[in-house]
Amino acid sequence: MSAADATLGEMLGKSGFSRRGLLKFSIAMTASLALPPGVASAMAANLAQARRQSVIWLSFQECTGCLETLLRTSSPTIAALIFDYISLDYQEALMSAAGSAAELTLRQAVAANRGKYLLAIDGSVPVADGGVYSLTGGQANVSMLQQFAPDAAAILAIGTCAAYGGIPKAYPNPTGAVGVEDVITNKPIVNIPGCPPVPEVLSGVLVYFVSFGRLPDLDDRKRPLAYFGTTIHDQCYRRPFYDQGKFAKSFDDEGARQGWCLFELGCKGPTTHNACASLKWNDNTSFPIESGHGCLGCSEPDFWDQEGGFYTSLAGGKGPGWEDTGIAAAGGIAVGAAAAFAARHKTAKPPQGPQK
Amino acid sequence: MQNFDFLGDDGLVDALLMEAADLMQDFISYGRAGSIDLLGLPLSASCLAALEARLGQGEVAATVSISGESQTRETAIHGLWWTRHADETGRVVALLIEVAAVPEILRADREDMARGLRRLRGLTNFRLARPAS
Repeated sequence: MSAADATLGEMLGKSGFSRRGLLKFSIAMTASLALPPGVASAMAANLAQARRQSVIWLSFQECTGCLETLLRTSSPTIAALIFDYISLDYQEALMSAAGSAAELTLRQAVAANRGKYLLAIDGSVPVADGGVYSLTGGQANVSMLQQFAPDAAAILAIGTCAAYGGIPKAYPNPTGAVGVEDVITNKPIVNIPGCPPVPEVLSGVLVYFVSFGRLPDLDDRKRPLAYFGTTIHDQCYRRPFYDQGKFAKSFDDEGARQGWCLFELGCKGPTTHNACASLKWNDNTSFPIESGHGCLGCSEPDFWDQEGGFYTSLAGGKGPGWEDTGIAAAGGIAVGAAAAFAARHKTAKPPQGPQK
Repeated sequence: MQNFDFLGDDGLVDALLMEAADLMQDFISYGRAGSIDLLGLPLSASCLAALEARLGQGEVAATVSISGESQTRETAIHGLWWTRHADETGRVVALLIEVAAVPEILRADREDMARGLRRLRGLTNFRLARPAS
Protein backbone atom coordinates (compact mmCIF):
# COMPACT_ATOMS: atom_id res chain seq x y z
CA MET A 1 0.00 0.00 0.00
CA SER A 2 1.41 3.36 -0.98
CA ALA A 3 1.51 6.30 1.39
CA ALA A 4 -1.15 7.98 -0.71
CA ASP A 5 -3.53 5.03 -0.27
CA ALA A 6 -2.99 4.62 3.46
CA THR A 7 -5.40 6.21 5.88
CA LEU A 8 -4.09 8.59 8.48
CA GLY A 9 -4.94 6.05 11.15
CA GLU A 10 -2.82 3.43 9.42
CA MET A 11 0.05 5.84 8.93
CA LEU A 12 -0.02 7.00 12.51
CA GLY A 13 -0.28 3.44 13.79
CA LYS A 14 2.84 2.45 11.86
CA SER A 15 4.73 5.32 13.42
CA GLY A 16 3.69 4.23 16.91
CA PHE A 17 1.09 6.94 17.39
CA SER A 18 -1.90 5.44 19.16
CA ARG A 19 -5.57 6.29 18.73
CA ARG A 20 -5.38 7.88 22.14
CA GLY A 21 -2.95 10.35 20.65
CA LEU A 22 -5.29 11.04 17.76
CA LEU A 23 -8.17 11.51 20.19
CA LYS A 24 -6.12 13.90 22.28
CA PHE A 25 -5.16 15.86 19.17
CA SER A 26 -8.85 16.01 18.24
CA ILE A 27 -9.82 17.17 21.72
CA ALA A 28 -7.31 20.01 21.47
CA MET A 29 -8.46 20.95 17.96
CA THR A 30 -12.10 20.81 19.01
CA ALA A 31 -11.35 23.24 21.82
CA SER A 32 -9.39 25.44 19.43
CA LEU A 33 -12.25 25.48 16.93
CA ALA A 34 -14.77 26.20 19.70
CA LEU A 35 -16.72 23.08 18.76
CA PRO A 36 -18.65 21.14 21.39
CA PRO A 37 -16.24 18.74 23.11
CA GLY A 38 -18.41 15.79 22.12
CA VAL A 39 -17.35 16.32 18.50
CA ALA A 40 -13.78 15.22 19.33
CA SER A 41 -14.58 11.51 19.07
CA ALA A 42 -16.15 11.94 15.64
CA MET A 43 -13.24 14.10 14.53
CA ALA A 44 -10.75 11.44 15.66
CA ALA A 45 -12.71 8.71 13.89
CA ASN A 46 -12.92 10.74 10.69
CA LEU A 47 -9.24 11.64 10.80
CA ALA A 48 -8.31 7.99 11.29
CA GLN A 49 -10.18 7.08 8.08
CA ALA A 50 -9.05 10.10 6.07
CA ARG A 51 -6.29 10.12 3.52
CA ARG A 52 -3.67 12.81 3.36
CA GLN A 53 -5.09 16.01 1.98
CA SER A 54 -3.25 17.41 -1.01
CA VAL A 55 -2.24 21.03 -0.56
CA ILE A 56 -0.74 23.07 -3.36
CA TRP A 57 0.78 26.27 -2.03
CA LEU A 58 1.53 29.17 -4.35
CA SER A 59 3.45 32.23 -3.14
CA PHE A 60 2.68 35.49 -4.90
CA GLN A 61 3.55 39.06 -3.95
CA GLU A 62 4.72 38.32 -0.41
CA CYS A 63 7.59 38.55 2.07
CA THR A 64 7.61 34.86 3.13
CA GLY A 65 6.69 35.99 6.65
CA CYS A 66 3.52 33.92 6.59
CA LEU A 67 5.37 30.75 5.68
CA GLU A 68 8.11 31.54 8.20
CA THR A 69 5.69 31.91 11.07
CA LEU A 70 3.87 28.73 10.15
CA LEU A 71 7.01 26.66 9.92
CA ARG A 72 9.15 28.20 12.62
CA THR A 73 6.62 27.80 15.34
CA SER A 74 7.78 25.24 17.85
CA SER A 75 4.23 23.99 18.18
CA PRO A 76 4.33 20.26 17.49
CA THR A 77 0.86 20.52 16.06
CA ILE A 78 2.11 22.27 12.96
CA ALA A 79 4.87 19.79 12.30
CA ALA A 80 2.45 16.93 12.77
CA LEU A 81 0.02 18.67 10.51
CA ILE A 82 2.49 19.28 7.72
CA PHE A 83 3.94 15.81 7.76
CA ASP A 84 1.06 13.64 8.87
CA TYR A 85 -2.20 15.22 7.91
CA ILE A 86 -1.55 16.92 4.63
CA SER A 87 0.47 16.22 1.57
CA LEU A 88 2.19 19.46 0.73
CA ASP A 89 2.61 18.69 -2.94
CA TYR A 90 4.00 22.02 -4.05
CA GLN A 91 5.64 24.86 -2.15
CA GLU A 92 8.45 26.70 -3.91
CA ALA A 93 10.39 27.73 -0.81
CA LEU A 94 10.36 24.28 0.75
CA MET A 95 10.62 21.86 -2.16
CA SER A 96 13.95 20.72 -3.47
CA ALA A 97 12.95 20.86 -7.12
CA ALA A 98 13.59 24.08 -9.02
CA GLY A 99 13.08 25.50 -12.48
CA SER A 100 11.31 23.33 -15.02
CA ALA A 101 11.36 20.38 -12.60
CA ALA A 102 9.34 22.44 -10.11
CA GLU A 103 6.87 23.46 -12.80
CA LEU A 104 6.47 19.82 -13.77
CA THR A 105 5.85 18.92 -10.12
CA LEU A 106 3.12 21.52 -9.93
CA ARG A 107 1.33 20.24 -13.00
CA GLN A 108 1.64 16.63 -11.89
CA ALA A 109 0.24 17.49 -8.45
CA VAL A 110 -2.71 19.26 -10.02
CA ALA A 111 -3.39 16.39 -12.42
CA ALA A 112 -3.22 13.80 -9.65
CA ASN A 113 -5.56 15.70 -7.34
CA ARG A 114 -7.88 17.47 -9.73
CA GLY A 115 -10.92 18.78 -7.91
CA LYS A 116 -9.61 17.65 -4.54
CA TYR A 117 -6.62 19.77 -3.61
CA LEU A 118 -6.63 22.77 -1.37
CA LEU A 119 -5.00 25.74 -3.04
CA ALA A 120 -3.10 27.77 -0.46
CA ILE A 121 -2.05 31.26 -1.47
CA ASP A 122 0.19 33.66 0.40
CA GLY A 123 0.86 37.11 -0.95
CA SER A 124 -1.33 39.55 -2.81
CA VAL A 125 -2.18 39.29 -6.48
CA PRO A 126 -0.84 42.18 -8.58
CA VAL A 127 -3.14 42.82 -11.50
CA ALA A 128 -1.87 46.14 -12.88
CA ASP A 129 -0.30 46.05 -16.33
CA GLY A 130 -1.28 42.46 -16.90
CA GLY A 131 0.18 41.33 -13.61
CA VAL A 132 3.81 41.75 -14.70
CA TYR A 133 4.96 42.87 -11.26
CA SER A 134 5.16 39.34 -9.88
CA LEU A 135 5.96 36.35 -12.04
CA THR A 136 6.86 32.73 -11.38
CA GLY A 137 8.60 30.93 -14.19
CA GLY A 138 7.56 33.79 -16.44
CA GLN A 139 3.88 33.38 -15.63
CA ALA A 140 2.01 36.19 -13.88
CA ASN A 141 0.61 35.36 -10.46
CA VAL A 142 -2.87 36.35 -11.53
CA SER A 143 -2.62 33.97 -14.47
CA MET A 144 -1.46 31.13 -12.21
CA LEU A 145 -4.33 31.77 -9.83
CA GLN A 146 -6.82 31.71 -12.68
CA GLN A 147 -5.25 28.52 -14.01
CA PHE A 148 -5.12 26.51 -10.79
CA ALA A 149 -8.15 27.76 -8.88
CA PRO A 150 -10.80 25.99 -11.00
CA ASP A 151 -9.50 22.51 -10.09
CA ALA A 152 -9.19 23.24 -6.37
CA ALA A 153 -11.71 22.02 -3.81
CA ALA A 154 -11.27 25.29 -1.95
CA ILE A 155 -8.79 28.12 -1.59
CA LEU A 156 -6.99 29.19 1.57
CA ALA A 157 -5.90 32.83 1.41
CA ILE A 158 -3.14 32.85 4.01
CA GLY A 159 -2.13 36.19 5.46
CA THR A 160 -3.58 39.65 5.02
CA CYS A 161 -1.94 40.10 1.61
CA ALA A 162 -3.66 37.08 0.10
CA ALA A 163 -6.90 37.88 1.90
CA TYR A 164 -7.22 41.60 1.22
CA GLY A 165 -4.14 42.80 -0.64
CA GLY A 166 -2.26 43.72 2.54
CA ILE A 167 0.79 45.93 2.50
CA PRO A 168 1.36 45.68 -1.28
CA LYS A 169 -2.10 47.21 -1.66
CA ALA A 170 -1.17 50.19 0.53
CA TYR A 171 -1.49 53.59 -1.12
CA PRO A 172 -0.57 54.25 -3.88
CA ASN A 173 -0.63 50.52 -4.68
CA PRO A 174 1.60 50.72 -7.77
CA THR A 175 1.19 47.06 -8.67
CA GLY A 176 -2.59 47.00 -8.45
CA ALA A 177 -2.41 44.46 -5.63
CA VAL A 178 -5.66 42.75 -4.64
CA GLY A 179 -6.71 39.79 -2.55
CA VAL A 180 -7.54 36.35 -3.92
CA GLU A 181 -11.29 36.88 -3.57
CA ASP A 182 -11.05 39.88 -5.90
CA VAL A 183 -9.87 37.56 -8.67
CA ILE A 184 -11.65 34.29 -7.93
CA THR A 185 -15.34 34.58 -7.20
CA ASN A 186 -16.70 31.11 -7.86
CA LYS A 187 -14.77 28.96 -5.38
CA PRO A 188 -15.04 28.47 -1.62
CA ILE A 189 -12.41 30.75 -0.09
CA VAL A 190 -11.23 30.93 3.49
CA ASN A 191 -9.39 34.08 4.46
CA ILE A 192 -6.85 33.59 7.23
CA PRO A 193 -5.61 37.16 7.60
CA GLY A 194 -2.87 38.46 9.85
CA CYS A 195 0.55 39.86 9.24
CA PRO A 196 1.51 37.14 9.85
CA PRO A 197 -1.49 34.92 10.57
CA VAL A 198 -1.77 32.93 13.79
CA PRO A 199 -0.44 29.44 12.92
CA GLU A 200 -3.07 27.61 14.94
CA VAL A 201 -5.80 29.10 12.77
CA LEU A 202 -4.39 27.46 9.65
CA SER A 203 -3.99 24.14 11.41
CA GLY A 204 -7.55 24.39 12.72
CA VAL A 205 -8.96 25.05 9.26
CA LEU A 206 -6.96 22.23 7.69
CA VAL A 207 -7.91 19.71 10.35
CA TYR A 208 -11.55 20.73 10.10
CA PHE A 209 -11.51 20.25 6.34
CA VAL A 210 -9.75 16.89 6.55
CA SER A 211 -12.10 15.73 9.32
CA PHE A 212 -15.45 16.83 7.96
CA GLY A 213 -14.87 17.42 4.25
CA ARG A 214 -16.06 20.99 4.40
CA LEU A 215 -14.82 24.38 5.45
CA PRO A 216 -15.63 25.74 8.89
CA ASP A 217 -18.24 28.44 9.37
CA LEU A 218 -17.02 31.81 8.12
CA ASP A 219 -17.87 35.41 8.88
CA ASP A 220 -18.83 38.01 6.29
CA ARG A 221 -15.17 38.48 5.39
CA LYS A 222 -14.70 34.76 4.84
CA ARG A 223 -12.73 34.31 8.06
CA PRO A 224 -13.24 31.26 10.31
CA LEU A 225 -15.75 32.34 12.93
CA ALA A 226 -14.15 30.25 15.65
CA TYR A 227 -11.05 32.43 15.49
CA PHE A 228 -12.34 35.73 14.16
CA GLY A 229 -15.75 35.88 15.82
CA THR A 230 -14.64 38.29 18.52
CA THR A 231 -12.38 41.31 18.58
CA ILE A 232 -8.96 41.46 20.19
CA HIS A 233 -10.53 43.98 22.55
CA ASP A 234 -13.20 41.56 23.76
CA GLN A 235 -10.60 38.97 24.68
CA CYS A 236 -7.94 41.34 25.98
CA TYR A 237 -6.76 41.08 29.57
CA ARG A 238 -6.52 44.92 29.59
CA ARG A 239 -10.21 45.23 28.74
CA PRO A 240 -11.41 45.75 32.35
CA PHE A 241 -9.24 48.89 32.50
CA TYR A 242 -10.88 50.21 29.34
CA ASP A 243 -14.22 49.76 31.03
CA GLN A 244 -12.93 51.62 34.08
CA GLY A 245 -11.55 54.45 31.94
CA LYS A 246 -7.92 53.74 32.87
CA PHE A 247 -5.60 54.38 29.93
CA ALA A 248 -1.83 54.36 29.49
CA LYS A 249 -0.68 57.81 28.36
CA SER A 250 2.66 56.77 26.90
CA PHE A 251 4.43 53.54 26.13
CA ASP A 252 5.76 51.81 29.22
CA ASP A 253 4.43 54.43 31.63
CA GLU A 254 3.22 53.31 35.04
CA GLY A 255 -0.32 52.77 33.76
CA ALA A 256 0.90 50.63 30.89
CA ARG A 257 2.91 48.53 33.32
CA GLN A 258 -0.15 48.14 35.52
CA GLY A 259 -2.00 46.67 32.57
CA TRP A 260 -4.07 49.72 31.72
CA CYS A 261 -5.68 49.93 28.32
CA LEU A 262 -3.57 51.06 25.33
CA PHE A 263 -6.53 52.62 23.51
CA GLU A 264 -5.15 56.17 23.66
CA LEU A 265 -1.85 54.95 22.24
CA GLY A 266 -3.61 53.85 19.09
CA CYS A 267 -4.53 50.25 19.87
CA LYS A 268 -6.85 48.91 17.17
CA GLY A 269 -8.05 45.99 19.30
CA PRO A 270 -11.67 47.24 19.41
CA THR A 271 -12.03 46.97 15.63
CA THR A 272 -9.76 44.02 14.96
CA HIS A 273 -10.99 40.47 14.73
CA ASN A 274 -8.35 37.85 15.44
CA ALA A 275 -7.34 35.21 17.97
CA CYS A 276 -4.04 36.78 19.14
CA ALA A 277 -5.34 37.55 22.64
CA SER A 278 -6.49 33.99 23.26
CA LEU A 279 -4.05 31.80 21.30
CA LYS A 280 -1.16 34.26 21.64
CA TRP A 281 2.21 33.73 19.96
CA ASN A 282 5.39 31.76 20.55
CA ASP A 283 3.84 28.85 22.37
CA ASN A 284 1.23 30.93 24.12
CA THR A 285 3.90 33.26 25.52
CA SER A 286 2.51 36.69 24.70
CA PHE A 287 0.92 38.89 22.07
CA PRO A 288 1.66 42.50 21.08
CA ILE A 289 -0.66 44.14 23.63
CA GLU A 290 0.79 42.00 26.40
CA SER A 291 4.22 43.19 25.29
CA GLY A 292 3.12 46.81 25.71
CA HIS A 293 2.27 47.80 22.13
CA GLY A 294 -1.20 48.40 20.82
CA CYS A 295 -2.74 46.15 18.20
CA LEU A 296 -2.05 47.39 14.65
CA GLY A 297 -5.16 45.75 13.29
CA CYS A 298 -3.09 43.70 10.86
CA SER A 299 -5.84 41.17 10.16
CA GLU A 300 -8.27 43.78 8.88
CA PRO A 301 -8.50 45.06 5.30
CA ASP A 302 -6.43 48.16 4.47
CA PHE A 303 -4.84 48.22 7.92
CA TRP A 304 -1.77 50.01 6.59
CA ASP A 305 -3.80 52.96 5.33
CA GLN A 306 -6.16 53.39 8.25
CA GLU A 307 -7.06 56.95 9.07
CA GLY A 308 -4.76 58.57 11.60
CA GLY A 309 -2.11 55.86 11.42
CA PHE A 310 -1.06 53.34 14.00
CA TYR A 311 -0.57 55.71 16.92
CA THR A 312 -3.79 57.72 16.79
CA SER A 313 -6.62 56.37 18.87
CA LEU A 314 -9.80 55.16 17.24
CA ALA A 315 -11.52 58.12 18.91
CA GLY A 316 -9.27 60.52 17.02
CA GLY A 317 -6.49 60.92 19.53
CA LYS A 318 -8.49 60.91 22.73
CA GLY A 319 -9.89 58.37 25.13
CA PRO A 320 -13.38 57.08 24.47
CA GLY A 321 -15.07 59.58 26.76
CA TRP A 322 -15.51 57.60 29.92
CA GLU A 323 -15.76 60.47 32.38
CA ASP A 324 -18.79 58.87 34.00
CA THR A 325 -17.26 55.51 34.50
CA GLY A 326 -18.10 55.15 38.17
CA ILE A 327 -21.33 53.24 37.75
CA ALA A 328 -20.78 52.26 34.16
CA ALA A 329 -17.58 50.37 34.87
CA ALA A 330 -19.13 47.29 36.46
CA GLY A 331 -21.85 47.18 33.84
CA GLY A 332 -19.28 47.60 31.10
CA ILE A 333 -17.28 44.69 32.34
CA ALA A 334 -20.43 42.62 32.55
CA VAL A 335 -21.42 43.45 29.01
CA GLY A 336 -17.89 42.81 27.73
CA ALA A 337 -17.59 39.49 29.45
CA ALA A 338 -21.01 38.35 28.38
CA ALA A 339 -20.36 39.47 24.81
CA ALA A 340 -17.08 37.61 24.66
CA PHE A 341 -18.68 34.51 26.12
CA ALA A 342 -21.66 34.64 23.82
CA ALA A 343 -19.58 35.34 20.73
CA ARG A 344 -17.20 32.50 21.41
CA HIS A 345 -20.03 30.06 21.81
CA LYS A 346 -22.26 31.17 19.00
CA THR A 347 -19.46 31.19 16.49
CA ALA A 348 -18.88 27.53 15.96
CA LYS A 349 -21.47 24.86 15.32
CA PRO A 350 -21.00 21.13 15.05
CA PRO A 351 -20.32 20.18 11.46
CA GLN A 352 -23.43 19.12 9.58
CA GLY A 353 -21.87 17.10 6.81
CA PRO A 354 -19.76 17.39 3.70
CA GLN A 355 -20.18 20.44 1.55
CA LYS A 356 -17.96 19.41 -1.29
CA MET B 1 -10.73 36.61 27.70
CA GLN B 2 -12.99 38.32 30.18
CA ASN B 3 -14.08 36.60 33.34
CA PHE B 4 -17.20 36.60 35.42
CA ASP B 5 -15.54 37.39 38.74
CA PHE B 6 -17.95 40.23 39.39
CA LEU B 7 -20.79 37.71 39.46
CA GLY B 8 -19.11 35.73 42.20
CA ASP B 9 -17.56 32.31 41.94
CA ASP B 10 -20.38 30.59 43.77
CA GLY B 11 -22.97 31.50 41.16
CA LEU B 12 -20.82 30.26 38.29
CA VAL B 13 -19.90 27.08 40.09
CA ASP B 14 -23.56 26.41 40.82
CA ALA B 15 -24.43 26.91 37.14
CA LEU B 16 -21.72 24.52 36.02
CA LEU B 17 -22.77 21.93 38.58
CA MET B 18 -26.31 22.14 37.27
CA GLU B 19 -25.04 21.55 33.73
CA ALA B 20 -22.97 18.61 34.94
CA ALA B 21 -26.04 17.22 36.68
CA ASP B 22 -27.98 17.43 33.41
CA LEU B 23 -25.20 15.52 31.66
CA MET B 24 -25.22 12.86 34.35
CA GLN B 25 -28.97 12.47 34.11
CA ASP B 26 -28.58 12.11 30.34
CA PHE B 27 -25.96 9.39 30.82
CA ILE B 28 -28.03 7.53 33.38
CA SER B 29 -31.17 7.70 31.23
CA TYR B 30 -29.72 7.14 27.77
CA GLY B 31 -26.09 6.10 28.19
CA ARG B 32 -24.82 9.18 26.39
CA ALA B 33 -21.45 10.44 27.54
CA GLY B 34 -21.02 14.20 27.71
CA SER B 35 -18.51 16.86 28.64
CA ILE B 36 -18.11 20.54 29.42
CA ASP B 37 -15.22 22.49 27.89
CA LEU B 38 -14.02 24.66 30.76
CA LEU B 39 -11.32 26.41 28.73
CA GLY B 40 -13.98 27.70 26.37
CA LEU B 41 -15.73 29.49 29.21
CA PRO B 42 -14.59 32.81 30.63
CA LEU B 43 -13.77 31.39 34.05
CA SER B 44 -11.24 32.89 36.41
CA ALA B 45 -8.59 30.79 38.11
CA SER B 46 -10.38 31.22 41.43
CA CYS B 47 -13.64 30.00 39.92
CA LEU B 48 -11.96 26.92 38.47
CA ALA B 49 -10.34 26.22 41.81
CA ALA B 50 -13.68 26.59 43.58
CA LEU B 51 -15.33 24.25 41.09
CA GLU B 52 -12.58 21.67 41.43
CA ALA B 53 -12.77 21.87 45.21
CA ARG B 54 -16.55 21.56 45.25
CA LEU B 55 -16.41 18.40 43.12
CA GLY B 56 -13.86 16.79 45.41
CA GLN B 57 -11.59 13.81 44.94
CA GLY B 58 -12.79 10.36 43.94
CA GLU B 59 -11.35 6.88 43.72
CA VAL B 60 -9.54 6.89 40.38
CA ALA B 61 -6.73 8.96 38.91
CA ALA B 62 -4.77 8.28 35.75
CA THR B 63 -2.08 9.92 33.62
CA VAL B 64 -1.84 9.39 29.87
CA SER B 65 1.56 10.24 28.45
CA ILE B 66 1.23 11.01 24.77
CA SER B 67 1.90 14.34 23.08
CA GLY B 68 2.30 15.76 26.57
CA GLU B 69 0.54 14.64 29.71
CA SER B 70 -3.18 14.16 30.14
CA GLN B 71 -4.47 13.72 33.64
CA THR B 72 -7.94 12.52 34.43
CA ARG B 73 -9.37 11.77 37.82
CA GLU B 74 -12.76 10.85 39.09
CA THR B 75 -14.32 13.45 41.31
CA ALA B 76 -16.20 12.58 44.45
CA ILE B 77 -19.16 12.03 42.11
CA HIS B 78 -18.92 8.59 40.50
CA GLY B 79 -18.72 8.90 36.72
CA LEU B 80 -17.88 12.61 36.82
CA TRP B 81 -14.31 13.17 35.73
CA TRP B 82 -11.96 16.14 35.81
CA THR B 83 -9.66 15.88 32.78
CA ARG B 84 -6.75 18.12 31.91
CA HIS B 85 -4.87 17.76 28.61
CA ALA B 86 -1.48 19.45 28.22
CA ASP B 87 0.78 19.53 25.17
CA GLU B 88 4.50 18.79 25.05
CA THR B 89 5.29 22.28 26.31
CA GLY B 90 3.01 21.86 29.32
CA ARG B 91 0.39 24.25 27.95
CA VAL B 92 -3.13 23.17 28.84
CA VAL B 93 -4.97 22.57 25.55
CA ALA B 94 -8.22 21.28 27.02
CA LEU B 95 -9.81 21.20 30.46
CA LEU B 96 -12.96 19.14 30.65
CA ILE B 97 -15.59 17.92 33.03
CA GLU B 98 -16.55 14.56 31.59
CA VAL B 99 -19.49 12.34 32.34
CA ALA B 100 -18.72 8.75 31.39
CA ALA B 101 -18.20 5.34 32.89
CA VAL B 102 -14.60 5.67 31.75
CA PRO B 103 -13.12 8.72 29.98
CA GLU B 104 -12.53 7.88 26.35
CA ILE B 105 -8.88 8.90 26.54
CA LEU B 106 -8.29 5.88 28.82
CA ARG B 107 -9.90 3.29 26.59
CA ALA B 108 -7.57 1.11 24.54
CA ASP B 109 -8.39 1.04 20.84
CA ARG B 110 -8.91 -2.36 19.20
CA GLU B 111 -6.48 -1.62 16.36
CA ASP B 112 -3.88 -0.46 18.85
CA MET B 113 -4.52 -3.68 20.75
CA ALA B 114 -4.04 -5.70 17.57
CA ARG B 115 -0.65 -4.04 17.08
CA GLY B 116 0.07 -4.71 20.74
CA LEU B 117 -0.78 -8.37 20.31
CA ARG B 118 1.79 -8.68 17.54
CA ARG B 119 4.38 -7.11 19.81
CA LEU B 120 3.35 -9.37 22.68
CA ARG B 121 3.82 -12.45 20.59
CA GLY B 122 7.25 -11.19 19.66
CA LEU B 123 8.21 -10.89 23.31
CA THR B 124 7.92 -14.58 24.06
CA ASN B 125 10.34 -17.37 23.27
CA PHE B 126 7.38 -19.59 22.44
CA ARG B 127 5.45 -19.51 19.25
CA LEU B 128 1.94 -18.86 20.55
CA ALA B 129 -0.90 -20.40 18.70
CA ARG B 130 -2.81 -17.82 16.64
CA PRO B 131 -6.57 -17.90 16.85
CA ALA B 132 -8.34 -19.35 13.87
CA SER B 133 -9.46 -16.56 11.58
